[in-house]
Amino acid sequence: MKINPLNKLAQSEMLNKHINKVIKDDMFGAKTLVALNVTKDVFAYAIRFKTTMQNEKIPEEKRPFVASMDLMSGVVTAIMQIGVGFSLANPKIQNKIWDKFFKNCNFQDIVSAKKGFSQIMALIGSTVLAERILVPLIATPFAEKFEKKFFPHKNNQNSNEFKFISIEEFNKDIKDYSK
Amino acid sequence: MKVINTNLNQHIATSLEKFSQKGGEKVSNYVNAAGKAVIAPLVIMHNPFTKENEENRKWASIKQPVEAVITLAMQLVSLGLLYKGIDSLIKKGKINFKYVENAAKDISKIPEKILKACNYDKEKALEMYKSQYNEIFKDRLGAVVTTITYLPVLALSNKIYPKIAEKIVNKNENKSAQ
Repeated sequence: MKINPLNKLAQSEMLNKHINKVIKDDMFGAKTLVALNVTKDVFAYAIRFKTTMQNEKIPEEKRPFVASMDLMSGVVTAIMQIGVGFSLANPKIQNKIWDKFFKNCNFQDIVSAKKGFSQIMALIGSTVLAERILVPLIATPFAEKFEKKFFPHKNNQNSNEFKFISIEEFNKDIKDYSK
Repeated sequence: MKVINTNLNQHIATSLEKFSQKGGEKVSNYVNAAGKAVIAPLVIMHNPFTKENEENRKWASIKQPVEAVITLAMQLVSLGLLYKGIDSLIKKGKINFKYVENAAKDISKIPEKILKACNYDKEKALEMYKSQYNEIFKDRLGAVVTTITYLPVLALSNKIYPKIAEKIVNKNENKSAQ
């Protein structure tokens, strides 16, 4: 007999409990959406940093800043997205904004609309406001500092010698630094 | 002006209902791509808190829209195929959710807010419950697929973006030299 893995998943108690909670609790649904976004972003930024460092098509002198920007964006993104996304998923804030914009609107299904609203609010807050505006603002100076710390050629702008380290050397430096 | 605002709010309100019924993964990807393509480069270029040289910032900012376009294209294709496949399996009855099966036997298992939204019509409520289950299930699998697609997306973006960045930066340099 052929076992359908997706059906096995659909029958699992854990997944069913999770989906049921998302349906019942709008705020939990909104927070899950933010948490999923953060997970995806952290994964993507980690890969981005690694691949940028190894990308020989980016000029060597540009690579440290581009890679540092990727790494710092990942770190700041995770913190900011959770902070802003979860705050905007707060029922008190949601109710205030809802009343301001949609109090006089007609709804066929206000339950679905409110659920959609809480998710969109958390999403816009975390991905647009936090990740795209606040993160680059904060991450750029961090990236600059990080680049100067770990790619020392930048500290000596007059030198013609460019010291670029490999990802392995970089990982070793990071480990030494954290010790 | 008030009429326009009311109409706009009503339009948004209708979209919210649709969004909630359709699930979040696709919309989440659209919002993400739009922010990355339009807002992120502007913030990197005009950030008052950094002294990084302009050329490096140009390189970092050009990366954003290039990556956003490739990401969105890849995600649209992969999620489109995934959702179509799952819909087809659900239609054929090959994916059945435990809690929906339980709710079909005992209607009190359906969350109160769905029953209320359907005026306690059992059939309608079960249909809505099932439909929401399907959408959230697709979203969760979609999130996994989206994460996996980052690998080919970033590999492709790393190949394409330096070429575009070089062209744009050189073009600007030539212009300013003239």
